[in-house]
Amino acid sequence: MTIEATGTAGRVAGAPAKTRERKQLRLRLAGVKPYLYLLPALLFLGFWIYKPLLETFQLSLYQWNLLPTSPRQFVGLDNFRNLLRLPDMGIALRNTLIYTVGIMPFSLLIPILIAISTDNIGRRAGTLYRALIFLPMIMAPVAVSSIWRWILHPTNGIANEWLHALLPLTEPIRFFTDERWAIWSITFITGWKLVGFATLIFSAALTGINKEYIEAARMDQANRLQIIWHILLPLLSPTILFMTLMSILFASEMSFAYINVLTQGGPFNATTNVYYLLWTYGFQTFNIGASSAAAVVFFLGFGLIAVVFLRLTKRLSFYDN
Amino acid sequence: MARSAVTAGAAAATAAKHAALIALSLLAVFPLYWMVVTSLKPEVDVYTSHLLPLRITLQNYADAWQAIPMPRMLGNSMLVAVSQTAAQLLTSILAAYAFSRWTFRGSGLIYGLIALTWLVPFQVIMIPNYVAISEFGWRDHLLGLIVPNMVSAFAVLQLYNAFRSYPYTLIEAARLDGASDWGILWRTMLPNLKAPIASVGILLFITSWNDYFWPLLVTTRLENSTIQKGLQLFISSEGNMWGALMAATTIASLPVLLLYLLLQRQIIDSFLKGGLK
Repeated sequence: MTIEATGTAGRVAGAPAKTRERKQLRLRLAGVKPYLYLLPALLFLGFWIYKPLLETFQLSLYQWNLLPTSPRQFVGLDNFRNLLRLPDMGIALRNTLIYTVGIMPFSLLIPILIAISTDNIGRRAGTLYRALIFLPMIMAPVAVSSIWRWILHPTNGIANEWLHALLPLTEPIRFFTDERWAIWSITFITGWKLVGFATLIFSAALTGINKEYIEAARMDQANRLQIIWHILLPLLSPTILFMTLMSILFASEMSFAYINVLTQGGPFNATTNVYYLLWTYGFQTFNIGASSAAAVVFFLGFGLIAVVFLRLTKRLSFYDN
Repeated sequence: MARSAVTAGAAAATAAKHAALIALSLLAVFPLYWMVVTSLKPEVDVYTSHLLPLRITLQNYADAWQAIPMPRMLGNSMLVAVSQTAAQLLTSILAAYAFSRWTFRGSGLIYGLIALTWLVPFQVIMIPNYVAISEFGWRDHLLGLIVPNMVSAFAVLQLYNAFRSYPYTLIEAARLDGASDWGILWRTMLPNLKAPIASVGILLFITSWNDYFWPLLVTTRLENSTIQKGLQLFISSEGNMWGALMAATTIASLPVLLLYLLLQRQIIDSFLKGGLK
């Protein structure tokens, strides 16, 4: 330490003016340094997320068919005015609601039930169960589609074979081509991938809860249901709100892959949703204006929901401290 | 008497817990099991619902290998996933270092801008990005797959959390020893932050390997695309080659499944921290 200090002092004495200059330069450099380290990340996010986002807003005011050679025609707010009259918009909105609500048993109800009822399970058994129920989460959506297409196949799939043995079915269920079933099949697959992950999220939240609250309630003769209702659920409320927000924001994004691989939105639009609609407008009917206008509306709508939820989380949550 | 009733009740409760978890585990694992079993059955047995394969063959794997340009697509997937992961780690390490090391004007705003990208769905920005890739002439090119995904906001936020917990006194000590800022990052901090960086890296690799929308959009020829797109084509062109399809699905899932076999604890932890996107 001392040696170091004298060494520096000696150098300062040797060339005072030069060092001062260099010091100033270094100070100025130090000011931009954090920005330099951030630059690569900001450049890429700017170019591949924020710039296209602005361009989508811009494209929503034009009529265009994606061909580089054909002109973009400015149409003002016409695309927005026509949104509700677009083919399939009504059914896409309705289906989005079905997906969002349909995913909740898998992202909230079953996970909360299982997490609460299996809290404090043995550590070794717990590790094994964790590893198994989490497995679907790491699988690629395309691979998941492929597997379920085989299992749920009307004539050759094992699901129909088992159902046939259990129930008096007159004909096999066409899970992906029957209008009444298709959207529920897609919802189930989306939920199947998610349910283990959500269970572990709630288990982790439960582990974080101070067990003294439960002990205190037991002392006061509270029964199991009262403990769940008055202590566990309120303490879990931040996680519950968070997973509800995730379900609303991502149900349609997550089901997108299964729709695209398994049903292409059919039969008769029974499985399309708002994001799939953007895809069909953009890359099948090449109505870029409509796709962009719808994208703007959905983006702002989902953004608003997110803001409201984050506010709610702040206001309503019971914090454990 | 009373005590034995209590223990019997407790035993029943424990049994019920295990029953619920076993049911959930079976639901999660059976489809994957069925994928592997089907892929190993000879054609005559594929339509039988025997839970165990009576005879085992690798013929389906040979068929799948020939049905799509498998080695080429696996290679592409590996190249894309590895370079994407490396680029994302590099950019997020630099950004996380900036946030954790200095307080500077606009840091809150910049952090917010990075975090907010989480709210922008792929489908909202896909058309302008598709146009950009076309203008660069990167359609059907691996660059078109890699370059738009060189930053992950998730990785920045995760690594910032890890970097923040690094004791500041150690950074100060290194600085007094004459280390440069660059040297402090790579020689002082990183060797001690290998674990969180590795677990973020694994998650990035899995996400990239599994990605499918972007390859679907910007590649047309199978030779230039990833295995996910190949699998999707195989699914939609399916005659009745269920055995081969399940073999292809198994091959496409194998790298991720092997990673999971080795590192499930780290993978689960980083997914739980990372949320859904």
